[in-house]
Amino acid sequence: MSVFLEVSIQGVLMGLTYALLALGLTVIFGVMDMVNFAHGEFLMIGMYAAYLTAAHVFPDPLVGVPVAGLIGLVLGALSYRLLVRRLLQGPTIAQIFGTFGLMLFLRYGALAVFGPNLRSAPGGLVVGQRLVLGGLVLDGAKVTAAAGSALLFALIYWFLQRTRVGLGLRATAAHREAARYMGVDTDAMNSIGWAIGGATAGMAGALLVNFYYVSPTVGMVFAMITFTTVALGGFGSVPGAFVAGIIVGVVEAVTAQYFSPQLKLAVIYLVFFLVVLLRPHGLLGAR
Amino acid sequence: MGIGRIIRDALSFGDLSRAERLGIALFLVAMAVFPFAVKSGFGRAVAVQFLLYATLGLSWNFIGGYGGQIDLGGAKNVGFGAYGVALPMLWWNAPFWVGLPIGVAAAVLESLVLGLALLRLRGHYFAIGTLAVALVWQELFTFWRWTNGARGVLLPLKPTPDFLYMQFGPVGFHYAALFLFVLSLCWLNWFRKSKLGYELRAIREDEDAAASLGIDVLAAKLKAYCISAAVAAAAGAFYAVYYGYIDPASVMHMDLSVMIAMTAMIGGAGVLWGPVVGAAVLIPLDRYLGAWLGGDALGIDFVIYALIIMLVAAYQPKGVWGIIESLAPARSAQRNEWRDA
Repeated sequence: MSVFLEVSIQGVLMGLTYALLALGLTVIFGVMDMVNFAHGEFLMIGMYAAYLTAAHVFPDPLVGVPVAGLIGLVLGALSYRLLVRRLLQGPTIAQIFGTFGLMLFLRYGALAVFGPNLRSAPGGLVVGQRLVLGGLVLDGAKVTAAAGSALLFALIYWFLQRTRVGLGLRATAAHREAARYMGVDTDAMNSIGWAIGGATAGMAGALLVNFYYVSPTVGMVFAMITFTTVALGGFGSVPGAFVAGIIVGVVEAVTAQYFSPQLKLAVIYLVFFLVVLLRPHGLLGAR
Repeated sequence: MGIGRIIRDALSFGDLSRAERLGIALFLVAMAVFPFAVKSGFGRAVAVQFLLYATLGLSWNFIGGYGGQIDLGGAKNVGFGAYGVALPMLWWNAPFWVGLPIGVAAAVLESLVLGLALLRLRGHYFAIGTLAVALVWQELFTFWRWTNGARGVLLPLKPTPDFLYMQFGPVGFHYAALFLFVLSLCWLNWFRKSKLGYELRAIREDEDAAASLGIDVLAAKLKAYCISAAVAAAAGAFYAVYYGYIDPASVMHMDLSVMIAMTAMIGGAGVLWGPVVGAAVLIPLDRYLGAWLGGDALGIDFVIYALIIMLVAAYQPKGVWGIIESLAPARSAQRNEWRDA
């Protein structure tokens, strides 16, 4: 098997998690035209939730996935209720600083509570497992995270397309005023959008803990990757988030393999920059 | 517009209320006599840091406050200014005054080129774009060998105070910082009364309307973005000689970008005095908090800033200045067209 193909497959696996992360951000953006700067920190909280569950309750981060999802859900909804709802009445500058402040609060709050040390899951069903498929050797934890992410992505997509609440969310995203006239409780939709954002980020974090270290500042790396993914796919576009997540994952893996692992973030930011310049509304963006 | 008019606009505070002018005069006198009144090294260091961050906040106000473009990557300009001085000094023993124009030119050039792309973005996108660009520069300066990577640059020390290399005692640094601050303040004072300043306020209120009125939106934003970069880079150059050691984590870190934007936001974005008020609140809070908490309470300082940011954003987006204005409604209503238009 060629190295390029192997690296690409690794990239696709990681890309599926990026897609799930981008989904939460793009739903919030679609529903209320707002970027959640704290998205990476929701992920970080999810990672700690799964890590602590694995360290103290049951020695497997996979058990932490629903826990992290629940914590993320509550965190997202609370953020909306306590902070974002007020920010919406202010100017754009207040919205940017508001969620940016939330990001700093969670990030440095975690630093104060958990300390600066990197931590890894103590073990688990899939941690460190090798999966051999013909000539291809894959990390079982990465395959699990990718499969879990794909499943959750499909679940949320189904929810958005096939349920009444999903219809309300899509209506609000399409035209807030019109949706309100039709009887959609747009404020509740905002809340649900943030809850989905928090829950998906939290569960993505829990899946990542199977093979990725946890630290208070880990959110920033993933936040920037997620912003890039959402920009690439088009702000507000759910299929775009899926396609772009996989592209970003592959670009990252290929850069790390052929140039330098230290440069992979710089290359992803470069992609973001080029996309924003050449296709400001992303690959599958509506506007 | 003649040069005399520019200088007059930069130095004139005639449009401000009497109370404000009195406040300015008292503040400048207090800053001028500060090193004689305060002998403690800690107090003097806080004053220099205050002036430095106030200058950085003023630099942010050009694009962020008056232009409404939320720049979250201000640290890259500080980094360019600091490395512009530090690297030539390390390699060729070049004086500060040779390095200063190099650093400022690098920052302006970079802002000109990247601004062409970044300033097409609006609102949240611009904020994320600037954040990403600043992170890339930090990564590159950490990765590159010619910048000394993560090890940073230790500036060669001179045995005696030396104006060429800007190395002198705390009193000298205080006046150097004060000079830079006053220069930036005058520049911003000119800016807010200039055509460019009005164009940016128009863009902040409604970009499409501004464009339909014939304002070259991109050109106006680009000018303000470059001025902002120049001021921040000059402050960065000063940072390098003041601390004597720089590395990507200190002069290019996201936390620094946050602090820069925050001084303006908390004081009052788009107000001449906003960044000064913001720095006067934040810097003493930061230093005394740091001294009080010591090294073991990691992150608590930023948790407190984060709470302040969230409260300001949610309840008083106009910052401390907005609170001051609401306490003196008659005056603010009368003078609003200058400051707040």
